Amino acid sequence: MSGLKRWCARLLEWRRRREIERDQAEELQSHFDHLIDDHIRRGLPPAEARRQASLELGGLDQARSLARDARGFRPIDALVADTQLACGQLRKTPAFTLAAVVTLTLGIGANTAIFSVVDAVMLRPLPYTDPDRVVVLWEELSTSLVGPGVVGLPIAPMRTSVAPANYVDYQARVRAFDSLAAFAPTGRNVTGDGTPERVPAEEVTASYFRVVGVSPAMGRAFLDSENVAGNDRVAVISHGLWQRRYGADPAIVGRVIELNGQPHEVVGVMPADFAGPSTAQQLDQVSVWLPIVFEPEVLTNRQEHIVSVIGRLTPGVTLVAAQQELAAVSQAIGRDFPEAATTRAYADVLRRDQVTAVRRMLMVLLAAVGLVLLLACVNVAGLLMVRAVGRQREIAIRYALGASRARVLFEQLVQSLVLAGLGGASGLVFGVWITRVLVRLAPATIPHIQTAAPDLRVVTFTAVMIVITALAFGLWPAWQASRTDPIDTLKAHDRPAAGGWVLKRRSGLLIAEVAVSTIVLVGAALMIKSLVTLNRVDLGFDPTNVVAASVVLPPAQYPTPAARLIFFEALETRLRQEPGVRTVAFGNRLPLRGDWISGMVIDPVGAPVEGPPVMREAGFQAVSPSYFETVGIAVRAGRGLLPGDVAGSEAIAVVNETFGRALLGGEHPIGRVVRRGPGMPAITIVGLVGDIRRTGRADEAGHRAAEMVPQVYLAAAQTTLYPLPLRDIAVKVEAAALGRVRPAIERIVADLDPNQPITAARTLEATLALGSANKRFQTALFMIFGGVAFGLALVGIYGVVAYGVSQRAAEIALRMALGATRGQVLRDVVGRYARQVSAGVAVGLTTAYLSSGVVADLLFEIEPTEPLVYGLVGVLLVASGTAAAGIAANRATRVDPMLVLK
Amino acid sequence: MSDRTDVLQGTLALMILKTLDSLGPQHGYGMARRIEQVSHDALKLNQGTLYPALVKLEQQGWIRGKWGMSENNRKAKFYSLTPRGQKQLVAEEDKWARVALVVGRFLTPAGGDPS
Repeated sequence: MSGLKRWCARLLEWRRRREIERDQAEELQSHFDHLIDDHIRRGLPPAEARRQASLELGGLDQARSLARDARGFRPIDALVADTQLACGQLRKTPAFTLAAVVTLTLGIGANTAIFSVVDAVMLRPLPYTDPDRVVVLWEELSTSLVGPGVVGLPIAPMRTSVAPANYVDYQARVRAFDSLAAFAPTGRNVTGDGTPERVPAEEVTASYFRVVGVSPAMGRAFLDSENVAGNDRVAVISHGLWQRRYGADPAIVGRVIELNGQPHEVVGVMPADFAGPSTAQQLDQVSVWLPIVFEPEVLTNRQEHIVSVIGRLTPGVTLVAAQQELAAVSQAIGRDFPEAATTRAYADVLRRDQVTAVRRMLMVLLAAVGLVLLLACVNVAGLLMVRAVGRQREIAIRYALGASRARVLFEQLVQSLVLAGLGGASGLVFGVWITRVLVRLAPATIPHIQTAAPDLRVVTFTAVMIVITALAFGLWPAWQASRTDPIDTLKAHDRPAAGGWVLKRRSGLLIAEVAVSTIVLVGAALMIKSLVTLNRVDLGFDPTNVVAASVVLPPAQYPTPAARLIFFEALETRLRQEPGVRTVAFGNRLPLRGDWISGMVIDPVGAPVEGPPVMREAGFQAVSPSYFETVGIAVRAGRGLLPGDVAGSEAIAVVNETFGRALLGGEHPIGRVVRRGPGMPAITIVGLVGDIRRTGRADEAGHRAAEMVPQVYLAAAQTTLYPLPLRDIAVKVEAAALGRVRPAIERIVADLDPNQPITAARTLEATLALGSANKRFQTALFMIFGGVAFGLALVGIYGVVAYGVSQRAAEIALRMALGATRGQVLRDVVGRYARQVSAGVAVGLTTAYLSSGVVADLLFEIEPTEPLVYGLVGVLLVASGTAAAGIAANRATRVDPMLVLK
Repeated sequence: MSDRTDVLQGTLALMILKTLDSLGPQHGYGMARRIEQVSHDALKLNQGTLYPALVKLEQQGWIRGKWGMSENNRKAKFYSLTPRGQKQLVAEEDKWARVALVVGRFLTPAGGDPS
């Protein structure tokens, strides 16, 4: 306690040490003067008095020095001196300092950035009350749709959202949940109060806000009574919408706003930082919450999997217990309602569930970046070790002059700390910058990443890394340096005694360095190969220069398919007249913009089949006649859709090639008849078109090319056959006209109906890019890490070889003087290092091969053990490593042998 | 200083504190003289002993130095006891008395009772 106080006093005094020393000198002078005074008083003459006083007191300088020691400035002075010495030495060797600091900057910066991202995406708790108790529920389907009079086919178990009828049962029967909430994503046209806009919305049960434990910042949440038809004309809006559209109106609660043309009373405004549990799946923030109302027929149909469900665990109940109870209840429901017998429900913590898709990617990135830091440390350790050897003579002389080991060690440690401090500071700055870049580049499919910023924990993480790094790469060489016997070192003229020790470790370091960078490069190469493979997958359609947009016509104003058809036909006609437009088409869903799977029965040819008809599934599209031309789908046989295919004429359809293959056992589909259900109107297949990958090149998990799905294209003018509300418009234009399409659509839509907003207006290519954004992001990161690792390895090899050759300069010079050519000497030296590089590559490739399983989930259509990748990386590293060794050796041997030997 | 007793480690602080306690604020030279007088010249304090001790006491916060004018009309640094210094003095006096007692017992012939 008092020790600490004295240290504080010491430090305070040290800061004004000049002043204090002047003071001390004056005080001692005063003492001296008083003594003279006394002698004079006793009768001595002044000169004699002064002489006598000097004799009695001894040197003033010695007293001053003793007083100074008493103040305890010496350790502080030593620290300052060591720091200055260290800085001076670092300044004297700028190449070494730069190499070390850049190395550390890259390692620490990359770590800070990735840790910040991992922290934001996976570690930081959700901004809910007791977020660990919030769980998400889902159900699993194992057969295709079944319906009255039809049976389903077994399918691979598929995760699906929850049927409201089941939700009601879970709520009533599962005790493990304190409360459950159901919600469904939707959208609303906001009109009145300015230009119409379409905003993401969510229909929710009143319990939604209770489950997350967040209340509106203004007003109230929904009442249970508002989840009933007739009471549901209320809305809770987001802070953003309140600010943006309603000018932060303080009287917003109670105000009536228009949603889909219907008046709704605003009852609450959510806090600014609120993001709903669906954040992970949605690209845009939800702006409006509305009460969900379950229609009676929905509550009796256990196959309508239309709501997402979250719940809060009852206090004291574990997740495992809740999972077991939920499984039991869902299986009991399955027994009671055979048509839903294939359903089983699962639950998991919301936080974990949200990041399922990206967890593996982040973990692998963290591992890769950790390897880069390891490499950085090995590099700097190598540099310091080589330096320690270079300073052996100096250290030996210091020992000979009586310096203590502690003092020498301390000085080395200070030097490492200064280096680590410099590297850490610039690494932190670099890390902050990289984090910003990552956040900007990151696809919206990575939840919470937008909130990534280095905070206190990240800074702590970096600081700990710096200290560990400093100790790791500083103390060990320093310890070794301090153990050298001064006599031995001084006796050996030009070859430091500890050289042998360093030599042994150096080859180990070189091998380790090459091995680590091999691993990172294999990862990077796998990602690149994966992305190239992905981009080669044939889509089957041509997204080039196609702009798409959606106009969601609300049923209130456009109640019938005919009314919607008139709107879109008018829009198409007007758009065709715009300059640069080649073709225009519309439909319910364009490729890359969602899917619409429906069931159907296919009439048998010839004799009727025994038993109930089987419900088959296919994607259903209602499209205008120019659709195939606009999105570049080839008509293979029969005919496409014609302007004459209208309501009242024969109901026809065009199907894709997979339809025949998958559903008709390879039979030709033209002429076959499909129906929406038994006894429904016949739809005759008249044409065959090429297959397309509607949802993009990769399947949902991103591992394989998307499968071809049977598709049925109906005429847009015949949509009474299936409920396929027209929504999307596609415009194929000359490249030069791309920028003009969106304004043209906005102008014409506003002209046709000023209350209709257009949404998601973007090129199909942009949408396609969004789909592979995760893959491109991870590939870009791996390429950066791979590049850094590669660069570090080459710098490391160069340094080790250059140093090694310079250590053997005398031996080499002797050989050359005895008649060896430079070429022979070089071959010899390079050959030895090439063997070490190859050993490192071998170790790296083996390790990468054995641990390749961890990246399997991140790859597209290639095996993590792809031999080509390993071969290329191996050849690249052996070749460039040998080249680096060659260049270093070449430069180091370009000396006159006589000069060295003298 | 050969035949003069070296100041026992730790006792100098006590002597300084006690001097300041009995004389009030005093400069270094005055303290040295006073300690010499009281010890009948058995202790001779040179600057190299006194001033480091003053520095330590001041860093510990037991005494505080302030520039003033001495009786010789010279600038001198006057030290005074702080309240914490007062407390420390009491504690040190106690401790010293106990040590003196114990050491005294050792030095008294066996069986003798000093009390």
